[in-house]
Amino acid sequence: MPEARTIVIDPVTRIEGHSKITIHLDDQGKVEDARFHVTQFRGFEKFCEGRPFAEMPSLMARICGICPVSHLIASSKACDALLAVRIPPTAEKLRRIFGIAQVVQSHALSLFHLSSPDLLLGMDADPAESHIFGVYAKNPALARDGIALRKFGQQIIERLGGKRIHPAWVVPGGVSDPLTLEDRDAILKTIPEALAIALRSLEWLKSTTERFREEIAAFGNFASLFMGIVKKGGGLTFYDGDIRVVDEEGAIVADGLDPARYFAYLGEKAEPWSYLKSAYFLPRGYPGGMYRVGPLARLNICTSCGTPRADEALAEFRKLQTNAVLSSFHYHQARLVEILYCVERIEQLLNDPEILSKHVRAVARPNAFEGVGVAEAPRGTLLHHYKIDENGLIRWANLIIATGQNNLAMNRSVLQVARQYVDGEKITRGMLNRVEAVIRAYDPCLSCSTHALGQMALSVQLIRPDGTISDEVRR
Amino acid sequence: MHSRATPCVAIIAYGNPLRSDDGIGWHAAEILRKELDSVQVEVVCVHQLTPDIAANLADADGVIFLDAAQTGEPGEIRCARVEANESGQQFSHSLSPGQVLALADHLYGKQPDAFMVSVAGESFDHGDALSETLQSALPALVRTVVGLIARLAPRFDSSDFEARNTCVRAQLPI
Repeated sequence: MPEARTIVIDPVTRIEGHSKITIHLDDQGKVEDARFHVTQFRGFEKFCEGRPFAEMPSLMARICGICPVSHLIASSKACDALLAVRIPPTAEKLRRIFGIAQVVQSHALSLFHLSSPDLLLGMDADPAESHIFGVYAKNPALARDGIALRKFGQQIIERLGGKRIHPAWVVPGGVSDPLTLEDRDAILKTIPEALAIALRSLEWLKSTTERFREEIAAFGNFASLFMGIVKKGGGLTFYDGDIRVVDEEGAIVADGLDPARYFAYLGEKAEPWSYLKSAYFLPRGYPGGMYRVGPLARLNICTSCGTPRADEALAEFRKLQTNAVLSSFHYHQARLVEILYCVERIEQLLNDPEILSKHVRAVARPNAFEGVGVAEAPRGTLLHHYKIDENGLIRWANLIIATGQNNLAMNRSVLQVARQYVDGEKITRGMLNRVEAVIRAYDPCLSCSTHALGQMALSVQLIRPDGTISDEVRR
Repeated sequence: MHSRATPCVAIIAYGNPLRSDDGIGWHAAEILRKELDSVQVEVVCVHQLTPDIAANLADADGVIFLDAAQTGEPGEIRCARVEANESGQQFSHSLSPGQVLALADHLYGKQPDAFMVSVAGESFDHGDALSETLQSALPALVRTVVGLIARLAPRFDSSDFEARNTCVRAQLPI
């Protein structure tokens, strides 16, 4: 009789950070359970204690090299709350441009550099071919588009913030420098190409969907809640709004929730097998309060995008499934709809008559001992919560990261894929690829809550109950 | 920010400037960016080489990669030609210079002459300052790169270069 075994994928490749997956098989070789383990630890919340609050945006931006701008914005908004100031309107618009430029480059990285090998070369492709070089060999135009789109976002960040990674331009009270006419015009010139790339990439992705019918049905295709911030009236936003929660039917479960009171409706639970905490919607308990954030969730909760081409793409997106779009495979398409929105929105904001105003910062001393900042990061809702003492030093900090909010859903997705594809008698390339690919669909940023160091590799082991290895595959 | 829309030479400095000597390329690049702004040089500073860097080579006649080396006598400057080469770890966040060149060739049909200039580091500890040894090596590194630019760029304005080079020499304790 076959014996119970565990399959370990360690580490998972082509994601932001380090993790491993374990798949537990029963005596019959059937999948009993599967877990996504985050194996890094960082501790930003602890080591910022005692620092002056004004340092927080720059410190928090160091959490991640992919989405530093989101941390910069959420942190600065928390500091705005400590100052109790209303930032100048132009500063808010510039922050919006900065934030969504980062969404473009981050989404492009996820789709074109990390997931396109799966989509272009197929889930059964040889891992030795499934990388950016495999993409250029198969479709160099797509590879060029991915690079150009990412560059579009990076160059906006660089023009506004002075550098493409870890810029410190967003500060408590606004931004440090106004936008120049030269930079505004230079960015506007790049809009048409970015728009064209976004549109043709969307067409390309839609044309591949038929090939992945089976994966769409099995990649995190289950009922869950979806959460994010929306504008008043329900429009898509990445900068400011109230929390909305919808269910698998697309029905609004909660609306108009104040992000500053997140602790009243969001819980976090730590499991002994992962450094990544799992967030859940408190009214439904743990783990019943599982919810998803990020592109798929944002498009499920919003009433419209608010820009013409993105709204057309949203209407088409919503036809993918009845009611809410449930399959996490569709995170990819949601990313492209959002890229389209971001490019259109950047153009709108740059053409705003106030955008070149020199008044971009409000100055004040701390006027509150506690502040919460929220923003929609590329991967989902991001919350920074600080408490300071009478000297303005950080006394306590709490960060709710998007990837933690997707943790329950990612675990559930790994289990769903494992049950669909894993045959306990043998490890196949396609099986491993799919288990990893479903995690990539969420684009988890483990660096945001941990620390990435070293090179990635992949080994899969079949481990007997006594701990000995019965089979092993290395990549 | 990019210095030129159609540069002759791309200088790609990479490393972590918060890891002391690992940031030597960035330090040199900042001097070069300031001093060579009027000539056709594009200076890019990044933490790691990613596929996007290939696009920076699309208009370049030559490329100079600047990095710290973990081996060798601290302060020792090495200069070696780099050829396009796809092989090695296929990780999209961290390509080798040869892989970036291979990408530039395949995606943009560009095969610029390329050199890797590295300096053996002494300290890779936390901090944004160079060790004394590498601080001392910085002027020689800048001189090496300026010399390579003259060699790589057929459209390079030599009179401008001389003037600029003098400026670099005057500013630095060479």
